[in-house]
Order: sequence, then C-alpha cells, then structure tokens
Amino acid sequence: MSNEHIVAGFDQDLAKIKAQVLSMGEAVNQQIQKATEALANFDAEAVDLLITTDRRINGMHKDIHSRAESLIARRQPMALDLRQALAPVNIAGELERIGDHAKSTAKRSRKLVDGPSGVAAMDIIAEMSTLTQSMLRQVLSAYDNVDIDLAAEIRDRDQKVDKLNKALFKLALDAIATAPDKAEAFIHTILLARTFERVGDHVVNIARHVHQIATGEDLKASE
Amino acid sequence: MEHPFITARDVDVFYGDKQALFGIDLDIQAKEVTALIGPSGCGKSTFLRAINRMNDLIPICRMTGQLEIGGQDIHAPAVDVVALRAQVGMVFQKPNPFPKSIFENVAYGLRIHKMTSNKTELADRVEWSLKSAGLWDEVADRLDEPGNGLSGGQQQRLCIARTIAVQPKVILMDEPCSALDPIATAVIEELIDGLRKDYTIVIVTHSMQQAARISQKTAFFHLGKLIEVGDTETVFTNPTQEQTQNYITGRIG
Repeated sequence: MSNEHIVAGFDQDLAKIKAQVLSMGEAVNQQIQKATEALANFDAEAVDLLITTDRRINGMHKDIHSRAESLIARRQPMALDLRQALAPVNIAGELERIGDHAKSTAKRSRKLVDGPSGVAAMDIIAEMSTLTQSMLRQVLSAYDNVDIDLAAEIRDRDQKVDKLNKALFKLALDAIATAPDKAEAFIHTILLARTFERVGDHVVNIARHVHQIATGEDLKASE
Repeated sequence: MEHPFITARDVDVFYGDKQALFGIDLDIQAKEVTALIGPSGCGKSTFLRAINRMNDLIPICRMTGQLEIGGQDIHAPAVDVVALRAQVGMVFQKPNPFPKSIFENVAYGLRIHKMTSNKTELADRVEWSLKSAGLWDEVADRLDEPGNGLSGGQQQRLCIARTIAVQPKVILMDEPCSALDPIATAVIEELIDGLRKDYTIVIVTHSMQQAARISQKTAFFHLGKLIEVGDTETVFTNPTQEQTQNYITGRIG
C-alpha cells in the first residue's frame, strides 16, 4: 500500500508498535540462543538471568497489547489497517510463547548439567536451535517488510525442524533400549526437541500472520 | 442468490450538462440494509433520490437507464409518483417534522393516502407506527404536543414513524444520524436493525463505522461510478478494489 493516510498519526502509532514487536522478537531470539548455550555449558547465573529476562519479555507483550488496543480504540481502523493493528497483538503473543519455551529449556538445563545425553543428540538439538533462530530472524524481517514470499519460505523450512524432532525421538528411543539407566536424561532430550519443534510452529504462526496482513487470507499449509 | 427487490441497470443521471452518475448497475435485496458510501459528490445521494424519483423535483435533472422496484419500472407511464413515494419512503439528514402535533405528523400520510376508514383505525395506526419507531413510550401521554418540540433523536424517530405509517416497501435514509448525538444515533441504528425484518432499507452515510455496524451490503461510489458492492463484512475487511481500501482506511487515493 503506497498511499499514505490522510491522518499521519495512525502510521506513526503503528510504526512505534511495530518497532516494539521487532525489538521483542530480537530479545526472544537471544533467549533461545542463551538457553541453547546453557544446555551445552551449564551456567546457573546465566539461567537465572534468562528467567528474569523472560519477565521483561512478558512485560513487552503486555505493553504491545495495550498500545494496539489503544490504537484500535482511537483510530477505529478498517480492512488492511485493522489487520496491521491486530497483527502486533497476535505476533507478540507467539513471541511470548517462544520466550516461555526458551525459559523452560534453560530450566531443563539444570537437570542436564552434563548436556543432553550423547553427542549425536546434542548435535540435533543444536541444529534445531540454530534453524529456529534463523527462521525467527527471517520472520521478523518478513513482518517488517510485509514479505509474503519469505513468509511462505519460512513455513516450508519448518518441515526440517519437524524432521529433526522425529530423528531425535527415534535416536532417544533406541538409546533408552540399549541403556535404560540413562532413560531419564534421554526423556529430557526428547522434551527439549519437542520444545524447539514448538518454537518452529510459533514462528510459522507468525509467518501466517504476515501473510494475513498482506492478503486478508490464510497462508496454506506446505504442499 | 434471491431475486433482488430493487434493480438499477445502466443508470446515468445528469444535472444539466454535468453527469453525476455513470452506468450504475446495482441489485438491492429485499429486507436487508444496503449502505451507500463514498466521498462527497460521489453520487450516492443522487442514486438514493433516483430510487423514489425525488430527482424529478429538480428541473435540470434527468435520468437514463432502468430502475425497477419489485419488478416494476418506476418510470413506466402508469406509475403514480405520489403512490411511488408512499411505497418508497424517505428519511432525511435533518429531522423535518411538520409544524403539527406528534399525532398529526404520523397521521398526515395516512389521511392524504386515505389509508384508514375511521378515527379509531387512524389512532391505532398512529400508535402502531410510533411503537414500530420506538417512540411510543416517550410520547404516548403528549401526542397533541408539537412534533418539533421533541429532541433531535426523537424527531428523527417521529419522521421514521411518519414514513412507516403508510407501510412502504422501501425506506431510503439520507444520513439520518448525522445531526444526532452518539446515544440518539445508537437508538436509531438499533431501530434500523429491527425495521429490516419488514422493510428494504437503503442508507447513505458518511460514517463508515455506521455502515459497517448496520448494513448487510455496502456499495462504494466514487466520482459518479459504482466501484464496488458486496457483503458489508467483506467490503470493510478485505475489499476487492484498491479505491475502496483507500477510502475506508482514510488514504489519499
């Protein structure tokens, strides 16, 4: 939409909220990165800091929600404008859930001070983390530029995350069968992979919101 | 899709040499509220006034094309314009009660169209009309007081009562709430929503929120042309035309 609003205030208010969402997204991405680092090299202080940061992220979510609510109440946007005004609420909600997953990953690292069981498992977890972080950065860019092609690409990339989750599940099951004494650690590993799989799903949900802003329609599932 | 109650085909309207409407094709369904929106001068009020031939009152105004109501060409030689306007009532922007009592305002149309046969029937019809317009409880004990002594919102409901007294098929409304406060507006909007059970309503409004709240169909006019018509929900959430989107979101189009 190249045409400008007659009332510039709407664009200015929306730009501020969008900047907050992008900043929240960046903070959440750092949380995933730090939580993954804590898995590889347990650091009690870093985990405590991460939990504190999650509260700040929850505060950002509430602030975005209340600003979007105020924008809608005051400007009464319609059509594309309404979708743009609602998107921050939905996207910040997804980011808040990703933040929670980062927190739960960090908390689980307390139970896995030696890292997830087995080098192969840790490699898969690390790959899932790297992939979801990359997808999250991409989806924030897609939101910033209302890029629906990039949104579709992110949806497709999530299939790789799902495959890694399944691969880890199989690996952990086999490991439990051969070394039942390590079952607890491997179950934690399964749950970690599940967490990153959920992060991927939230990122795809954000991609769907981006598609919805631009088109007013749902983004179809991958072929 | 039901057969439309009002159909406009290739309607052009001219004020002297100036063309105000260009080839309007529009179907209006029975017992729905259709909102006509668009910037000032877009032709929406001209189209509204074409529906009951109010434009005939403007000497330089002429129309070509075809307008049918209930399958009847409203320009057919046999059509009695006075009878047409009883069938297609109109409520205006500014409440315009006659300088008569509340009772006589509503009774007026019934008398001139000889629609009641005795005083009791007349009184019953006035009461029914005032009740239908949601005004009865507020005026029942002062029917002989002047209509123009009522509040703005009450006067507008009196005008609606006057319109529905003669049992029209269609009610045209030209910005009926623009002179009213938000509470009086809400009362009228609620009334319109109730009236659509029995009447086909076409409303011109500058308030897009009002169009979104009360109508089932919305038609967007721009520079004398019908740009888009569709379900109100679609027009205000995902219009098909960029011009519509620009207008409803307040963009410089």
